Amino acid sequence: MPASWIFLIVVVLAAAGYVLARGRAMASAGGDQRRLHSLPSYYGTNAAMAAAVPALGLLAIWLIAQPMVSDLYVSSGLPEAIQADAGERSLAMADVRRVADGLDYAVSQGAMTREEAANLSVSANDIRERLGAVGIALGSDVDETTLELAQQYRNLTNTGNTIRTVLVLLVALASFGAAYMMTAKDFRARNTVERAVLILLIAAACVAILTTIGIVFSLIFNTLDFFSRYPAAEFFLGTTWQPSFSGRGGGSELGFLPLIWGTLYISIIALAVAVPLGLFSAIYLSEYASKPVRSVVKPLLEVLAGIPTIVYGLFALLTVGPLLLSAFGNDGVLQLGWMSGGTAAMTAGLVMGIMLIPFVSSLSDDIINSVPQAMRDGSYGLGATQSETIRQVILPAALPGIVGAILLAASRAIGETMIVVLGAGAAASLSLNPFEAMTTVTAKIVSQLTGDGEFNSPETLVAFALGMTLFVITLALNVLALWIVRRYREQYE
Amino acid sequence: MTDATSASAPASQPPRIGSILHESDRTKRRNAAERRFRLYGVIAISIGMLFLAALLFAIVRNGIPAFTQTYMTVQIELPADVLDENGNRDPEDLRKVSTFGYNPLIAAALERTVSEAGIETEITDGSDLRDMLSSAAGAQLRDTVLADPDVIGTTQEFRLLASSRVDGYMKGRVDRESLARDPNLSPEHLDVVDGLVDAGAINRSFNWPFITGSDASESRPEQAGMGVAILGSFFMMLVVLVLSLPIGVAASIYLEEFAPQNKFTDFIEVNISNLAAVPSIVFGILGLAVFIQFAHLPQSAPLVGGLTLTLMTLPTIVISTRASLKAVPPSIRDAALGVGASKMQSVFHHVLPLAMPGILTGTIIGLAQALGETAPLLLIGMVGYIATNYPDGVASGFLDPNSAMPAQIFEWAKRADPAYYERAWGGIIILLVFLLTMNLIAILLRRRFERRW
Amino acid sequence: MYDVPNSERTVTATDTKIAAKGVQVYYGDTHAIKDVDVQIADKTVTAFIGPSGCGKSTFLRCLNRMNDTIDICRVEGDIHIDGEDIYDKRVDPVQLRAKVGMVFQKPNPFPKSIYDNVAYGPRIHGMARNKAELDDIVESALRRAALWNEAKDRLQAPGTGLSGGQQQRLCIARAVATEPEILLMDEPCSALDPIATAQVEELIDELRQNYAVVIVTHSMQQAARVSQKTAFFHLGNLVEYDDTNKIFTNPTDKRTESYITGRIG
Repeated sequence: MPASWIFLIVVVLAAAGYVLARGRAMASAGGDQRRLHSLPSYYGTNAAMAAAVPALGLLAIWLIAQPMVSDLYVSSGLPEAIQADAGERSLAMADVRRVADGLDYAVSQGAMTREEAANLSVSANDIRERLGAVGIALGSDVDETTLELAQQYRNLTNTGNTIRTVLVLLVALASFGAAYMMTAKDFRARNTVERAVLILLIAAACVAILTTIGIVFSLIFNTLDFFSRYPAAEFFLGTTWQPSFSGRGGGSELGFLPLIWGTLYISIIALAVAVPLGLFSAIYLSEYASKPVRSVVKPLLEVLAGIPTIVYGLFALLTVGPLLLSAFGNDGVLQLGWMSGGTAAMTAGLVMGIMLIPFVSSLSDDIINSVPQAMRDGSYGLGATQSETIRQVILPAALPGIVGAILLAASRAIGETMIVVLGAGAAASLSLNPFEAMTTVTAKIVSQLTGDGEFNSPETLVAFALGMTLFVITLALNVLALWIVRRYREQYE
Repeated sequence: MTDATSASAPASQPPRIGSILHESDRTKRRNAAERRFRLYGVIAISIGMLFLAALLFAIVRNGIPAFTQTYMTVQIELPADVLDENGNRDPEDLRKVSTFGYNPLIAAALERTVSEAGIETEITDGSDLRDMLSSAAGAQLRDTVLADPDVIGTTQEFRLLASSRVDGYMKGRVDRESLARDPNLSPEHLDVVDGLVDAGAINRSFNWPFITGSDASESRPEQAGMGVAILGSFFMMLVVLVLSLPIGVAASIYLEEFAPQNKFTDFIEVNISNLAAVPSIVFGILGLAVFIQFAHLPQSAPLVGGLTLTLMTLPTIVISTRASLKAVPPSIRDAALGVGASKMQSVFHHVLPLAMPGILTGTIIGLAQALGETAPLLLIGMVGYIATNYPDGVASGFLDPNSAMPAQIFEWAKRADPAYYERAWGGIIILLVFLLTMNLIAILLRRRFERRW
Repeated sequence: MYDVPNSERTVTATDTKIAAKGVQVYYGDTHAIKDVDVQIADKTVTAFIGPSGCGKSTFLRCLNRMNDTIDICRVEGDIHIDGEDIYDKRVDPVQLRAKVGMVFQKPNPFPKSIYDNVAYGPRIHGMARNKAELDDIVESALRRAALWNEAKDRLQAPGTGLSGGQQQRLCIARAVATEPEILLMDEPCSALDPIATAQVEELIDELRQNYAVVIVTHSMQQAARVSQKTAFFHLGNLVEYDDTNKIFTNPTDKRTESYITGRIG
């Protein structure tokens, strides 16, 4: 039975359980609601939760675990040579799964009978053609082992599915039965329900932890895999980025330095644009602007923050790039010849700077506003002008908070992807010229993971190592920034 | 007070500051500095506004043309001997004539149309004239015939898609100079186009297929549309909404109302504030590794995209939900507890409904953020060129490979054909209309239900 | 009635420093100060007393145009200092405030060192030509504020690290460092403990030698202790203004009597 049917059955059971348990509770109290410990709906909810939560939890775990168990079991049937290499093994297993899924699909479409599918043989049937007929394209002809393992996989999956159906429904029924039996007028249904709800709330809060763990694990395992194929020292100290496109096999130079150089260079250009503009905007808006001006300009600036980064990317590629090229390019009006193409560090940095203006300005605005009015009064009372007050009293007082805001903006800039993918170019270079094409860590993560390379080649796995460094850098910046901002806020609370 | 008396303050010094009616030189200088400083602020804001205006101008100017499309109206003869050799109108037989089989019919019709319009041209060959039309024109004819075999043997009027170059010429994007280096169309064709425009055979109309259609191959930008990608985004947002709202609200309620102050809750809080600042691409890596590599969910599926974006949106929703819960005054909770409600009842019956407008506003803003996100989708395979077919139903809407609006825009931007650039800008307009609507709803919700205690 | 310790003092108002005539202050629609006339003498401590919300602080803030920083506040009438209209169009409030210093209710040292706090005013007004002169100004200001002995060894320590009373004396030092001619004090002791209050009060008496001091206070005892002239405000009106001795021993107005005997306020 498919998982969706099991799900529906459990839901129906829960709904029925609600009605039944509520009725039983009312009956036990002789129809007088006042003699119940809790409201009748709590008895119903208790039974419904008992029916649904454990069963659905089991179903979810099963859905994730079964393919892994089957994989592990079936892959032991592969030839030793293939088993030894993780990459070969996962490729072979992908073939096995594809054939198995294809056969199931063919049966479900009526292109094969169940018996026919179970008794296929490589010599007698052209499996590739038959599956192709129902729309399952196979990369190569099916060999004996693959077919055998695929059949084994199908059997396992079938058995697993049957056990799953029985077990999940049994759990649902048993747990509902227990809840139903407990339902009586003195049963503390509300307390039970509330405890269960609290556990669900805690579980929801733990999703944040699970996400972090998920990020760390998905990065660590693949990164270690990468370093087992490519020396870490060459990665961190290499000055050339030149992945080979042939797929597997050596010849790739995967040096990290040009990428981090491009990342930092572009981020610095972006901050050089965003910090002065954002900071002065924030100062003007919080200290000088009249109410009507502020109420118009502030939301307009924040529009810049709400625009998706793909829009900025396109703006960089198609508007800013050509504009810069016409000024600084070989045929540019300034006759400088600094720029040879529209995509460059300057293009991406400039546009990223625009994107970050509202980020810097609204954070700084909050921070400047949290400087107590007494500081301003003290300074005005001594005969300071407004700008003297801002420069010599407010900004020094707000400095830690502003530094925190800038660090957060820097972390944004380092992690930004679409603008650099479209605006910065693809060539990794260690150049000093801001008008030259550069590339960044994020842009290379995208290009290495969306290419045609095989998953287990160093050319693909390097993306995880890049992701890991990116994660560590931004995490460090965020933790530092949040710590500074929090300390700053405590100072004035 | 020995300090004070020992300080030798001169007993009667002349007033240091002269008349306050007269601005001293120093004050003048300081006031000039003041005006300069103020000016810096004005300049900074002006530059910011200028950038915003330039961005919006670029979007509107480059994107609006995508919403009209050039068509050519042609009378085409559909001879039975070409299309149905057996003469029995058997759909199976009709299918055997490929789209290429229709091209001679189009060519012939074009030759006739051009000569009827009295256009003098060196291009006399119909297959050469065919370049003015989209290569999808054959399929358009074939679909009409297959849908209604009775048209065979008659002459029908067709509105055929013009090629992207003709479309560009009509919109002013392409001129004779730029065509000189273009293998797809020659400047002479444009003379024919001019003649056909005068004859009323070529005209532009609103481009519904751009909003509802699917992506097309790289050589047919005139046929590409956002429809399938919009649907992909829709299914993704459904997943995000269904998962992130309950999980986010539940997590916020726990943290704000029930969590004791201990290491564990601290850890969760630190986690949430850090996740809010993790680059989106890292969530893409997470989605790839956990949902596709580990859990074997189908690649490129909106379900996976939705799951990934849910994890990315959760911190935003938790942060805004906690703010709205915090804004509900403690007196409400005390009042509920005071009449004998349990803590859980006071939260679910009183605090949560009062905080709901704020929660919804935060959720919509989180969704809008997720809707515009591109990078994580690329990693889990939701790239643009996949969005070529409408999903068959709801289940396949979640599970079949699809793209999303921003990924479709990215795909078009990469295709390096000015006709596709136009589509990309147009796609941005559609995306921004969605975002604007969502933000407006959020603002209206806030205005309508905002409460101050 | 109150015991007035300095009753033997004869008030020698040398000349009028501040002359206010027909002053009206509005906060939006609220009429906060109603037609106040008052003449404040030089080298004298003048106390403004009255119940909360009576307008005494508002009036004080008119004297150095601190009300300018509040958008909705509007001032009408004449206030002359040394015969010059401070609300004249030509007057730069910045220049005015250098002449009329102010100390606030809550000590508000800047988040800078003690030295930089005191040197702030002299620096922005360009009062010192070199470091040595600035050092002298800082030292003399700290001495006049009776803080030198406590602070001289930690001039570079942050001003926020001092105790409440020390912080308030630091703020006074900061105000006197700019050499103002008038010193406005808005409830300078309300955030301080009795010992710190006594120190600041003693200091105020010393400052009288060089400045016209105007002090707003909630405490009638304090007004009696430090001031020579007292003005009683009630509901935005200046009810009575006279020698402190007279106000506390023989008030003319019924409302003044009620207030100082504790029946209103």
